[in-house]
Amino acid sequence: MIPTLLGITVLVFTVMAMSPGGISAQTLVGGMDMKPQEKQALLNYYNKRYGLDKPAPLQYLHWLNNVLPIGFVMDEQGNQGEFSFTKGMDLGTSFQYGRPVADILAERIPITLLLNLVTIPVTYLIAIFVGMKSATHRGGRFDVGMGMSMLALWSIPTMLAGVLLLGFFANIQHFQWFPTSGISSREALDMPFLPHWGATGFVRGFLLDRLWHLVLPVLCLSYGGFAALAKLTRTSILENLHSDYARTARAKGLAEQEVLWRHVFRNSLLPLITISAGLLPSLLAGSLIVEHIFSIDGMGQLAVEAVKGRDRELVLSITWVSGFLTLIGYLLADFCYTLADPRVSYD
Amino acid sequence: MIKVMLRGESYAARVWRKTRNGVGVEVGLAWIALLVFAAVFAPFLANSMPLLMSKDGIISAPVLHYLSVEDAWVLASFFIALLLYKLKLSIGQRISLFLCGAMIAAILVNLLINPPKLVIYDEFRSPAYTQVDWRIMPPIPYAPTDYLRDLASKGLEAPFESTGHLHLMGTEENGADVLSRMIHASRIALSIGLIASGIALFIGVIVGGLMGYFSGLTDMLGMRLVEIFEDIPTLFLLLTFVAFFGRSLYMMMVIIGITSWSGYARYVRTEFLKLRKQDYVQAAVASGLPLSSILFRHMLPNGIAPLLVALSFGIAGAILSEATLSFLGLGVVDAPSWGQMLDQAVKSSSFNWWMAVFPGGAIFMTVFAYNLIGEAFRDAIDPKLSDDAGTE
Repeated sequence: MIPTLLGITVLVFTVMAMSPGGISAQTLVGGMDMKPQEKQALLNYYNKRYGLDKPAPLQYLHWLNNVLPIGFVMDEQGNQGEFSFTKGMDLGTSFQYGRPVADILAERIPITLLLNLVTIPVTYLIAIFVGMKSATHRGGRFDVGMGMSMLALWSIPTMLAGVLLLGFFANIQHFQWFPTSGISSREALDMPFLPHWGATGFVRGFLLDRLWHLVLPVLCLSYGGFAALAKLTRTSILENLHSDYARTARAKGLAEQEVLWRHVFRNSLLPLITISAGLLPSLLAGSLIVEHIFSIDGMGQLAVEAVKGRDRELVLSITWVSGFLTLIGYLLADFCYTLADPRVSYD
Repeated sequence: MIKVMLRGESYAARVWRKTRNGVGVEVGLAWIALLVFAAVFAPFLANSMPLLMSKDGIISAPVLHYLSVEDAWVLASFFIALLLYKLKLSIGQRISLFLCGAMIAAILVNLLINPPKLVIYDEFRSPAYTQVDWRIMPPIPYAPTDYLRDLASKGLEAPFESTGHLHLMGTEENGADVLSRMIHASRIALSIGLIASGIALFIGVIVGGLMGYFSGLTDMLGMRLVEIFEDIPTLFLLLTFVAFFGRSLYMMMVIIGITSWSGYARYVRTEFLKLRKQDYVQAAVASGLPLSSILFRHMLPNGIAPLLVALSFGIAGAILSEATLSFLGLGVVDAPSWGQMLDQAVKSSSFNWWMAVFPGGAIFMTVFAYNLIGEAFRDAIDPKLSDDAGTE
């Protein structure tokens, strides 16, 4: 896991170091209105802080040392101090926002996580329902129709769905049912958490307002996922439905529902869990588009801004954080294996 | 030499037949054929200038005069491909002949064709081009960059809304015809899909092949590399690459290619791990064949089937990647692309459904078509995964 994380940072760093003009030139493109001496001072500061005047491999080590919680303490002049285990992580300062990257990430990551955490259960519930129904009614009208429409759903680009949903259901020209942007209204921030009847009538409260804002983005983010998952559920359940143990269970006289949910379903879960690990990177990528369309200030939106502004520190941090989240997803999937199937064990 | 004739169909023929039986595949193939047609003949389908006209008894074809180098090359390659399809040749010969032909065409086209640098579309609606004996216009008489300024186009006209000139799919804010832009954009979609996945396939086969053949340490190191590329959400990686390296079409193909090879590498590795201890591979090793021969002439043809399935899905993914990048405003700047058109729909002040539905629908149809083909192909190759799976 740690070598993979290191590899991710090396890869991203290489890409940036190879780019025409290098990192230092690109970060200073924005400062066109500065006086020459100011520019020089800024350049000196950056050189000192990030070692931009050194060759790329050294720059990388410099950056790595700053990011790791253990390493050499650096003083203001960029000189190497003594080795320490408690120096803390320094993700650097964003060139674009002029704020510490850690602060910006701390603001943005929860929003993206919220989007994804709402999406994943929705995705799984629908997928399991559809997959189960098509598997038990195999070859029937529901099964054939769903098979085709799931592939179609899967092929709809998120951006098309997002643009159309936004255009038709959050638009004064058509149906203005949902808000157009953000994940909270301005006034909802002062409301109490739960909905209730107030002096002025119904107050929707923070929770309901948040849900109302989340409907369209979550819809957009989930349909692709459940389309793929439903197909997988169907195959997986079909494989188990005709297995020997299912026949034995029926022969024992168990009710069909019992066989289905207690025996077949549990054994069909494994491939679903495997996929769930890979689901997170695709959801993160999907939320990038969804956040862009619905103007939600999450990590995806931040990534687009960072990349457009060629903000080295921000891009590096976002990439390794997203890689880190993915790896955590794998870890959770491994953990879920043992829950779903006691036969799986890790020594 | 004794030639062994085998009755019955080959494996490839059987797979192809199984793939073809199904409505979905036919729809997918038909859509892609339509796209290829639109991409190859784009200048003749949607352009502001007459295809043929007769003025004072002289017959001329303005569209040929204004044909760009790219247009001519695409046409030439298309006819070379068509010719090779008709000839009875082996696949390897076909590919090498096609590449040779395309190269020669590229050189000839660059030398021979010299279109005027400046095209003023208004001229084609001036008496010089309209007061003629007869003329044949393209089906969609607007070029993608023709903003119809002389016709006082307001822009943002819904389909069939404008008076005086017909826009089947409406116009964009600057007055450009949506259908015309879509026809010309099909080129980018198709070429990105094919070339980017081709690059990805090339890298994937080499890395995966080496991993599978040598296994052991090479395999371990290779797998870590694959994992690194898989763990970063592809779009994030893509964004990083695009932001730091220009935004030309060719750069984009390379970038999409080098960010999406990991899946192919995985497939090839699994296949090669299975094949490496087979007798014929051992025989090839024992007879001292060079590595490239063992890997690509002996092992690859036996492990190619799952790869082609992945390729079909990969093309869909590459088209989607390009559309997404264009949508985020990081795509090709100077040529129309479906993603960019979708972006225009979001950026415009009011929501104009025709600007979103048509280009978005085209992306959807193309991705769907490739997915349908991939799905049918997979079912044909691996009966266990097919829709009929699970019965005794």
